[in-house]
Amino acid sequence: MDLAKYRALFLEEATDHLGEISRALLSLEKDAASREAIDLVFRMAHSIKSMAASLGYDGIAELSHKLEDRMDRVRTAGRVAPGEETALLFRGLQALERMVAAVAKTGEAPAADAELLRELARGGEAADALKKKLPTSSARPLLRRP
Amino acid sequence: MKGRVLVADDAAFMRQMIRDILEAEGLEVVGEAVDGVEAVEAFERLHPDLVTMDIVMPRCSGIDAVKRILSLDPGARVVMCSALGQETLVMEAVQAGAKDFIVKPFKPESVSATLKKVLEKAE
Repeated sequence: MDLAKYRALFLEEATDHLGEISRALLSLEKDAASREAIDLVFRMAHSIKSMAASLGYDGIAELSHKLEDRMDRVRTAGRVAPGEETALLFRGLQALERMVAAVAKTGEAPAADAELLRELARGGEAADALKKKLPTSSARPLLRRP
Repeated sequence: MKGRVLVADDAAFMRQMIRDILEAEGLEVVGEAVDGVEAVEAFERLHPDLVTMDIVMPRCSGIDAVKRILSLDPGARVVMCSALGQETLVMEAVQAGAKDFIVKPFKPESVSATLKKVLEKAE
């Protein structure tokens, strides 16, 4: 596997996705129940998670996973709670932007902010407890940096 | 391993990764689709031996696409590409007729073994 090829693909696609998340969050400021924007943030976070996990960028995978889970709960609620939750989602976006920029600069992804992870997960403990783990041996990244 | 495969995933990164794994195994990627609608259209046009189908995609989800493909061809072989945390969706896809699933991040030997099993069952 050509790590440089996949890293370039990741940087290009993740940057595009973060731009889409940014636009969607701005539209959610105007319409907190926009299904299209909620779905888009969920989908983009999910995609970033899968790509980052494949490359062993654990911090990015962890943060985007928490953002995805949060958006799943937002979907269930039908709207983003104005104020605090919107601000939290923007913080998640900004943190991901910084982490992807770090990959572009250094080739390494920094660890995710533990406090931000906790805040994104808040309220989701019960839902997480209900989830079962898939029986798989595919849980390790395909591409690990040497 | 021989076979013609359609790859459906909205992320170019994941499509490329699956393509590399499949081609290393001697499989031919005959088409790519970026959403569920394209996947159904490409299936009708290309008649692949197997489809790898992402679950979370725009316009039409992978699960809806599986249902549409199986309504067109009840013998179609679709393998779902899932991520940890999508257990319920995977179960729904399998109940809808998907033959198996592979989990992201992909492990080439695991992907190959799953696809080989599904293709051999078809023969």
